[in-house]
Amino acid sequence: MSHDLIQLKALVIKEYREAFRDKRALMVALMMAILAPIGIMVMSKIMIEKLVDEPPVYIKFIGTEHAPKLIKHFADSNLLDFADAPKDEQATWAQRNITIEIPTDYATDMAEGKPIKLHLQADFTDKAVQPPVRRINNAVRNFSMAIGYKRLLLRGVDVRLLNPVKLVEQDTAKPDATFMLISMMLGIYLMLAAFMSGLSVAIDSSAGERERNVLEMLLCQPVSTMKIVLAKLISASTVAVIGVLLILILTSVSVGFVDLTKIGATFSLDMSTAAVLLLLLLPICFFASACQLFVAFQTKSFKEAQSTVGILIGIPAFIPFVISMMDDRPQWLNWLPIAGQSMMIENIFKGVDVDWLAVFATSGVTIAITVALVLALARKLQSEKVVMALS
Amino acid sequence: MIEVNNLHKSFIDKKDKKNTVKALDGLSFTAKDGEITGILGPNGAGKTTCLRTLYGLLSADEGFATIDGISVTDEPLAARARLGIFPDKFGLYERLTAYEQIDYFASLHGMSGKSKKQAIEQVIDDLELADLAHRKTVGFSQGQRMKVTLAQALVHQPQNFVLDEPTRGLDVMSTRILRNHLAKFKAKGHCILFSSHVMQEVAALCDRVIIVANGTLAAQGTPQELCELAGEQNLEEAFVKLIGSDEGVAA
Repeated sequence: MSHDLIQLKALVIKEYREAFRDKRALMVALMMAILAPIGIMVMSKIMIEKLVDEPPVYIKFIGTEHAPKLIKHFADSNLLDFADAPKDEQATWAQRNITIEIPTDYATDMAEGKPIKLHLQADFTDKAVQPPVRRINNAVRNFSMAIGYKRLLLRGVDVRLLNPVKLVEQDTAKPDATFMLISMMLGIYLMLAAFMSGLSVAIDSSAGERERNVLEMLLCQPVSTMKIVLAKLISASTVAVIGVLLILILTSVSVGFVDLTKIGATFSLDMSTAAVLLLLLLPICFFASACQLFVAFQTKSFKEAQSTVGILIGIPAFIPFVISMMDDRPQWLNWLPIAGQSMMIENIFKGVDVDWLAVFATSGVTIAITVALVLALARKLQSEKVVMALS
Repeated sequence: MIEVNNLHKSFIDKKDKKNTVKALDGLSFTAKDGEITGILGPNGAGKTTCLRTLYGLLSADEGFATIDGISVTDEPLAARARLGIFPDKFGLYERLTAYEQIDYFASLHGMSGKSKKQAIEQVIDDLELADLAHRKTVGFSQGQRMKVTLAQALVHQPQNFVLDEPTRGLDVMSTRILRNHLAKFKAKGHCILFSSHVMQEVAALCDRVIIVANGTLAAQGTPQELCELAGEQNLEEAFVKLIGSDEGVAA
C-alpha cells in the first residue's frame, strides 16, 4: 500500500470510529429516517379515510322483516333504514326518497332457490341519488354473489369457473392533487435528510476537534490538508447517505402497509425509483457535508458552528418550496444544486420519465461545486488565519 | 538537528496597521543531535510562534527553519515526518482508545503492517501503558493523558522531538517518567527541543539552554555558563537578569 493510501485509510478509519461512537449525533440522523415513514403512513391513512369514507345512506325499506340478513348486509355497507336517520338529515333523505321493496315471499323463495326481485325506486336523474344507488347496486350484487358462491360450493363446483375472464384495473391517471402533496413533502424531506443527517458529524469533526485541541496536532502531522478534508468529508457524507438510504428503505416498506389503491393513487417506491432517488441525492450528501465542513471550520467555536450551520439547513427546505411556487421556471434552475434535484424528484413522483441528461448535468454541477469547496477548504487549512484561531 | 535562522514574524492587524505585533525579531538557534536543548522565555516572548513556524504552520516573514537540513517552508511534509511533537495543549480523541490513537498517529507517519504493530507495542511497553491501552481516553488523568500524547509523538521514533511545556500540570511521578524517557531518547542520539517554565527542571535536564526574549535570542549556553554569564548562583536569578537587561547579555 502506498504512503498516501495508508494515511488516507487511517484518517478515514479514525473519522468513522469517532462518528459511529458518537451516539448522540447518530441518533439525530436515525431519528429523521424513522420519523419520515411514520409521518407518511399517518398522513396517507388520514387522507384515505377521508376519501374512502362512505357516508350513511338512508333508505325507505318495505318488508324488512322478510330479509333480516340482507338488511344486516346493507347496514354493514352503511346503507341504513330511513327510520334511523338523524333529524337534521331526515328532510334530505325524505326528498331523495330511495325505496327498496322486499317481496313477502323472500324467505321461501330464498329457501327454494328461486330468483327474487328486489325493487329499487328513486329518481335516477338526480345527481345526489346516483352514488347511493351505485352503492346499493354493489351491495346487492355482493350479497347475491356470496350466496350464489356458497350454493355452488355446496354442489362441489369451483367458484372460479364463474369468472373465466378477470379484468385487472390499472389506473394510469396522475395521483390526485392531495396525494401529490405527500410525495412532494417526501421529496423535501429527503433533501433535508441529506443535509441534516451528516450535520453533527461534520461539526464535531471540524469545530469540535478545534475546541478539543486536537486539530493543531493533526495539522502538525506530515499529512496534507487535502487528505484531512477528504477523510472528514467521507465520514460526514457516509452518515448522510445512510440517513437517506434508511428513509428510502423504511418508506418503501411502510408505503406497502397503506392501501393507496383505495383512493386511486398509485404511489409505489419500488427499487428502480429508489435507486434513481439515491443517485440524485448522493451528490447532495457530499455537497451538504462539504458546505457544512467549510462553514464549521471557519467558526470560532462549536456553538457558533452549530448556529451558523443551522442556517444552512434552511436552504434545502426553502428552495423546493420557492420552486414549487414558480410558474415558469428558468432553464438554468435545472443546473443548480438542490433546485435541479428537487425538480427532478418532483417529476419522479409525478410519474414523468427521468431525464437522464438533466440528472447527470445537475449531479455534475453539484459535484464540481463540492470539489471546489474541498479544494478551497484544504487551502484554507494551510493558511495562517486558521492556525492563529487555534488558540 | 533543528536549526532556526534569523526568524522574523509580525502579526499585522488589518484594520489597525499600527497595532502590529512583532512576535519574532531575528531569532536564531540550533538544537543538536544527542542533546536536550531547553527554550526559556517569559510569556509572550515568541516561543509558541517559533515552534509553530518550526511545525510549518506559520511561515516566517524572513529567515528559515530546517529540520535535519530540510526546510520547513519548502517541504513541510518531509520536515514534519522527522519530527515528534508534544503540543502545549494536548487534546485526546476521547472516543478512541489509547491504542487506536497511537495507531492513528503511527499510520499518519506512513507506518503499516507488522512494523507498525511492533512500534506501537514497543512504545506502549516503554511507557507502561499496557493497562490503559484498550480503554477509551475519556476520563484519563493528566498523567495518563501525558503518556498517551508522548506515545503518539514517539511511536514513529522521530529523530527530532519538540516538547512545549510538557510538565505543566503533571505530578512528580509523571514528570519523572517523562524525564527518564527524554534521557533515554537523548542517549540514542536524538535531538530534543524542550520548552518549559520550571527552572529546576531545565537546569537538571538540559544540556544547553536558549533564552528568548522579545522575539530574539537573549542568551544561550549550558545552565552553568548562563549562571556565570549573569553572575548568579541559580538559573532562575540568571534568567530574570538575562531577560531583564540587555547590558547583562552584552557583558
